[in-house]
Amino acid sequence: MSSEELRPEEFAQAADAAITDALSHKDPHDQAAVLAQAGLCGVMADEADGGLGLDLAFALPIAQAAGRLQLPLPLAEQMLLARAFAGTPQAAALAAGERIAGIAWQRTLQSGSVRVDHGPADWVLVADDSGAALVDVSAASCDAQAALDPEHPQLWLTLAGAPVLARLDAAAFEAVRRQAQLLLAEFANGAAEGALQMAASYMATRVQFGRPLSAKQAVRHLLARMRLLQDVSSAAIRRAMTADEFGAPRDTRPALAGAIANAAFVIEKAIHLHGGMGFTWELPLHPALRAVRKLDAAFNGLSRQTGRDFIQSV
Amino acid sequence: MQFEQQVAVPDPSAGPEGYRQHARTWLRANLPDFMRADSLTWRAATLAESSLWEAAMHQAGLAGMTWPKAYGGHGLTLREHLAVNKEIGALPMPESVSSIGKELAGPIIMAVGSEAQKETFLPNILTMRQYWCQGFSEPDAGSDLARLRTKAVQEGEHWRINGQKIWTSGAAKAHYCLLLTRTGTVADKHRGLLMFAVPMDTPGIRVVPIKSIDGKESFAEVFFDDVVVPDSARLGAPDEGWNAAIRVLSIERATNRMYRPWRFECELRQLIAACKSDSQIAPSLDDGYVQRRVGDLVSEIDGLKGLVELTVERMLRGESLGARGSLTKLYWSECHQAFASLALSMLSPVGPHSSPLAQRAHKAFTNAYLFSRAETIYAGTTEVQLDVIAQRVMNLPKDLT
Repeated sequence: MSSEELRPEEFAQAADAAITDALSHKDPHDQAAVLAQAGLCGVMADEADGGLGLDLAFALPIAQAAGRLQLPLPLAEQMLLARAFAGTPQAAALAAGERIAGIAWQRTLQSGSVRVDHGPADWVLVADDSGAALVDVSAASCDAQAALDPEHPQLWLTLAGAPVLARLDAAAFEAVRRQAQLLLAEFANGAAEGALQMAASYMATRVQFGRPLSAKQAVRHLLARMRLLQDVSSAAIRRAMTADEFGAPRDTRPALAGAIANAAFVIEKAIHLHGGMGFTWELPLHPALRAVRKLDAAFNGLSRQTGRDFIQSV
Repeated sequence: MQFEQQVAVPDPSAGPEGYRQHARTWLRANLPDFMRADSLTWRAATLAESSLWEAAMHQAGLAGMTWPKAYGGHGLTLREHLAVNKEIGALPMPESVSSIGKELAGPIIMAVGSEAQKETFLPNILTMRQYWCQGFSEPDAGSDLARLRTKAVQEGEHWRINGQKIWTSGAAKAHYCLLLTRTGTVADKHRGLLMFAVPMDTPGIRVVPIKSIDGKESFAEVFFDDVVVPDSARLGAPDEGWNAAIRVLSIERATNRMYRPWRFECELRQLIAACKSDSQIAPSLDDGYVQRRVGDLVSEIDGLKGLVELTVERMLRGESLGARGSLTKLYWSECHQAFASLALSMLSPVGPHSSPLAQRAHKAFTNAYLFSRAETIYAGTTEVQLDVIAQRVMNLPKDLT
């Protein structure tokens, strides 16, 4: 299938339907199977591996929808790794949704253990000396760190004895890292958009003092600020997708760091605007906040790193 | 200060990159060193010097980019305008001394003026022969122009104007005032508003400068006591002219000063270079908090660049911008204000013992910090922008439907 026949926006609608369908299943592997059936897991994978062979622009709205609809799977990572390992049995298994793959963003293979913040995962990509290794952690010892997200905990995995299935060289790993930063930025921004939509429609219908709360200036201004930050994240991600004036790829870190910080603000304020309801387990805003805070943990120090590099560049 | 009079301006078919290269080469070769905020020879340019510089920029094809050639412009698209603005932003040069003419009066005259008015006024704005000031705000009508009181009464072929304007930037140097008046009474609110191009040397106009917190006296109160202007000074018909002007202003808010994110980045580089140049301050750049703040600023600047570029793409595709200019103005003003505070704090150890670059930066950023207070006030306050986003971008209801 060529990109000329399809436009990313059109693909986005199909993604919404497939993710909604997947969410009707409880088991992550069942969810992955539904997503794969709809072509989402293999959207970027080679056609020979059972994929659609489309570019990153098509994966972006899928990641956005995953964030907005609160899909508790590392779909962004799955889409990228199914492409990155093209021509291997692993790529075909990921495109088909038979296995779920995540990425450990901190620590290395040599550390002995890594944490997967955006899981669950059968396979994990872990940095190593020469690039990165795809490790089968399905039988690895796993310590669930449930404080931030009891339902979808961060996972500490012991790597000793876990088989390495395939490797990426440094350049290929760097390409995955860049693309993942953009997709995860869009995931965070999707989570923010979902929270903002909920807050805006609730404020428009919740009546106090004889008028909807959205009539109150303090509320209107807060919603406007939330919308501003969400638009800024979108614009930054869009820009980071394109090459710079000299044809070189742009730094993707500022877009991700900005999107995470902006999404955290938007979701926190969406919770606040829902009043007592916002503090309940029942209202589906806290899962979005947990998801974004796990991303924040995964990329801890990104803004500082960007700042340090900028300072060095002067 | 002299500039080449005959500059080879590239053909637009060279594309925005060709134009950008031309802008880069010309600006770097011609910007006087004393006008660079990061130069040790910096000094405040005189009005004549600024005027000469901006006229030379226009001559080189770097101002009036999108204005029609018939009125002294270069007849190009926003694509070239953006390409040039990136290069303007990349250098720490002074702000235009004719921004009201170029960003406000010019575009409004283009939209509502008669052919004779366009031919008279527009080329003179670009060649820096005439400066304009903006007579909108009044003591009782800031954000709320429905309370405007300055009154224009028709007397045959003339209009008699009485009233008072305030916060009028550049009034003392201006040749013309883009004056907003009303033909009826305050009870008419937004109806009956009428604009004029009033020569500032008309008898009955009195300019009283106001000193601002950055020590300058560039803005003023302007009094109009029985000021009589010919009917030819009128810009459009009552109501009609002002309504068209509002549409122009909404586009201008989104498209003017496109260089801002690139200038913001340039200022951040200047701050860091100044810190690095001083042995006492340099270690602060190893501080984790400072590094993180710089990283956050880089994210904010990237977001701003993205907003500006998206605006241009949308306009080139012929899409309506609606109120999206408010997003860029609001985000820039607040991020830039916070940056100025960081700069002031990072340079606080500066004294006579400090490196010359650090001393220069200390002066520049202290001024920038004070001036940045105005950035969330002028051109629609933060609160006005938030109202606009809530109302026109988000359509948040105020009543039960």
